[in-house]
Amino acid sequence: MEKKKLFAGIIVFGSLWGFAECIIGPILDDAGLPSGAIMTSVFAIGLMMVSRMLYKKRGMQLGMGIVAGTLRMFNPFGGCVICSAIAIAAEGIIFELIWYYMSLDLRELKTYIMKISMGLISAYFCYVGGYVTTQILTPLVASANFYVWNLIVFIPQILSRGLLAALIGGVTVPLVLIIKDFNINSIKDKLYYSTASAVSILCWIFIITNAGFLIG
Amino acid sequence: MNKKKLILAVALIILLIGSVSSIYVYATQTEESTISLNGQKYSIELLFFIAESRFIDSLNISGLALDDLMLKVGAGLPKHQEFTIVGADGYQKTVEWENMKNGILTYEKMVVFSDLPKSFRVKEVVKIEAI
Repeated sequence: MEKKKLFAGIIVFGSLWGFAECIIGPILDDAGLPSGAIMTSVFAIGLMMVSRMLYKKRGMQLGMGIVAGTLRMFNPFGGCVICSAIAIAAEGIIFELIWYYMSLDLRELKTYIMKISMGLISAYFCYVGGYVTTQILTPLVASANFYVWNLIVFIPQILSRGLLAALIGGVTVPLVLIIKDFNINSIKDKLYYSTASAVSILCWIFIITNAGFLIG
Repeated sequence: MNKKKLILAVALIILLIGSVSSIYVYATQTEESTISLNGQKYSIELLFFIAESRFIDSLNISGLALDDLMLKVGAGLPKHQEFTIVGADGYQKTVEWENMKNGILTYEKMVVFSDLPKSFRVKEVVKIEAI
């Protein structure tokens, strides 16, 4: 696959992920739903899994995390901006690490038990890892002190909250794998690039304009 | 152990860890109607009588000035420099006196700082300790 095509994929999937974090996350939060667990296990895992399946390239999800985290920084609403951006980028790195040793054609995931297990593992580690990373890095970025004890006493809560993310992830991955046989190279270049550009631009414009309106 | 068995084992361990920690969290959950400030328990209503209010313009939110509150309960400077704020769910954050000067305790028992990210907000505060 051409690098240009992969790069466009990183931008479009990262933008969709960032868009979901900026718009859907706060809506879930306002509705009193566990937005963190849902965002990680449905949107983050779902989109990273789709991109893994379609492009079959390592490193793509890391790039998506960086794009989504950057887009999140442009939306100053709905929860801690810097924490969310750090958590999103961390989720991209963790997903990449988990899936590094899996084959790119996902041949290990033939049975439903394997699909569900990988969904559980990915969602749990992404959620818990993202949470812990943000608890450590946010104080440092905000020029505040990090107290390790504050994190240690809250670890049981983080591990507990991750269970919901894991269970949802166990559903998301098998669902995404239904479209496993779709070939991204079957899309004509002209259509691929124009759609990728349009979707990415729309996501960024919507977030930036929305933030501008709310601030103004 | 082959890859498939490893994946299955890790998934089962995750379910076990998640379940055990959920039971632990549920069993250790506390419901406090008062707030403990440096070892003394106060109702939120009483605290609103003894400390000054502060309004954070940028967030459009008001509450008790945390620095004044700690001074009134005898736990401010110069004796203490750092303060740990603990929520009912165990979430806790340690901040410095400079941060307390920009912090408030709302009537809903949430601590908010104007100079720190939202992750420093602690909901359902049950304890503030000078350390």
